[in-house]
Amino acid sequence: MDAVIQFTSQSQGRDRIFRTTQYACALAAYFLRNTSKRKDLVAKLKSLEVNMSAGRKLFRLGNTVNSIEAARRTMQLSDRALCLCLTAANINRALYFFCDNLLWARSVGLIRTIDKEHWSLNASRFYFLSLVMNLTRDVYVVSQLMLHIARDKHFRQKMAQHLNESPEIAEAVIPQMDAFLFLLLESLKTHPAVALDMVKNVCDLFIPLDRLGIHQSNAGVVGFCGLISSLIGIVTLAQPKLRMKP
Amino acid sequence: MDSWVRFNAQSQAKEKVIRAAQYACTLLGYTLQKGGAAAQLHKIICQLEAHMSLTRKLLRLGNSVEALEAAKRAIHLSDSMLRLCLTIGHLNRAMYFACDNILWAGKTGLISNLDQHKWSQRSFRYYLFTLILNLTRDVYELNLLMECEARNRATKSPPSPYPSTALPADHQTYSSSPAALPTVGLPVISVWLRRQFHLLVTVLYSNPPLLLDLLKNSCDIFIPLDRLGIYPTGTGFVGACGLASSVLSILTIIHPWLKLKP
Repeated sequence: MDAVIQFTSQSQGRDRIFRTTQYACALAAYFLRNTSKRKDLVAKLKSLEVNMSAGRKLFRLGNTVNSIEAARRTMQLSDRALCLCLTAANINRALYFFCDNLLWARSVGLIRTIDKEHWSLNASRFYFLSLVMNLTRDVYVVSQLMLHIARDKHFRQKMAQHLNESPEIAEAVIPQMDAFLFLLLESLKTHPAVALDMVKNVCDLFIPLDRLGIHQSNAGVVGFCGLISSLIGIVTLAQPKLRMKP
Repeated sequence: MDSWVRFNAQSQAKEKVIRAAQYACTLLGYTLQKGGAAAQLHKIICQLEAHMSLTRKLLRLGNSVEALEAAKRAIHLSDSMLRLCLTIGHLNRAMYFACDNILWAGKTGLISNLDQHKWSQRSFRYYLFTLILNLTRDVYELNLLMECEARNRATKSPPSPYPSTALPADHQTYSSSPAALPTVGLPVISVWLRRQFHLLVTVLYSNPPLLLDLLKNSCDIFIPLDRLGIYPTGTGFVGACGLASSVLSILTIIHPWLKLKP
């Protein structure tokens, strides 16, 4: 009980729960869309999804400042690649939140003059760029880990053993490819935080890709990806050791 | 900037900011209506207020659990009066949040055919009970501190810095209550009242958390009193009280030492 209270007392914790509910509703509504008996339930799910989305928009007011502050911190990082990726990601996230705030103001009638569609696309564009930068960072971290593990003597023995265990497969599949995949899996296995962050960002990427029309996927895929990403977000928040640092 | 990030990271802090904005909208809406402003602007403000209210209801989902947990903690307090006030207060708060959650479900269309007025009244009733118990606790704490301060003064008994408030020598022993002065007229009662008032001011001045909590609960109590029709005060007054109470709550979050414990 204490853990739940501690989790919900964090703004981020509540936001993740609402996001999970939002995408769970989207996914459930997609699966039930053709069931004529469940039309009332689908309407309720859609209403709940809209309500969660609107609530989250208000709840995220002021997050722009958090992102700018995060960008200021990441500028101090010694690793140039990390510094570039994280600072760019945080700046894009700040711009995404800013667009989101404008859209919220438009939805409650505070600002009438702005073009909703245009700013919605802008928000998705910044969100997409933020995710691309985060994924670039993940790839960079994974490559660093792979280089580090490849130098390890113990791992080399393990690799040789793995390749010798199934020579007929090693002949059929390109040995370099097999070695690369083995190295990649080993790196991710030993660093679950990186693996989770990568999966989360890949899942999140489908949302702006669909909105921007770059890679059209249905509401079910978007709902599923959003749900998985939100659940990973909850896990990383509940278990700080599974969170990527910096 | 850092303090803002830390403040923003707490869901309770965000809820209080939204509450302050909601009551500011209530007050602004009332002012605009009084001033005969454009109907369009008044409509936008009312719409914004309704949106804030609904979002706060969403943010408070699950707060019943927190209130029950707080009640479980309050049961173990050694002071029986505090234990009674805080435990029942938290239980009423849990019931208020539960009613609020049902109202939210009704407003979002999850529960159809919900009598929103009935549940709103029920919710405000529990809120009123919570505030009454919180105020009882504040008055109890205040009384304890005043007694303690009076004892301290009696033991030290320095020459009074306020000669006008000093009682005649033959009545010094009766200074605890005006009822204990059967033969004394109005002047002595006024002196006693002045002394008690001075004691009250001293105690509140030296205990900012108690003062803030007392002010906050006093402001808050007008909201359910108005909504339940027990003591109608009007939208403007409710807005002002809600805004003042929210600002005080924000202060206690920014400066945790201003929060009344337990």
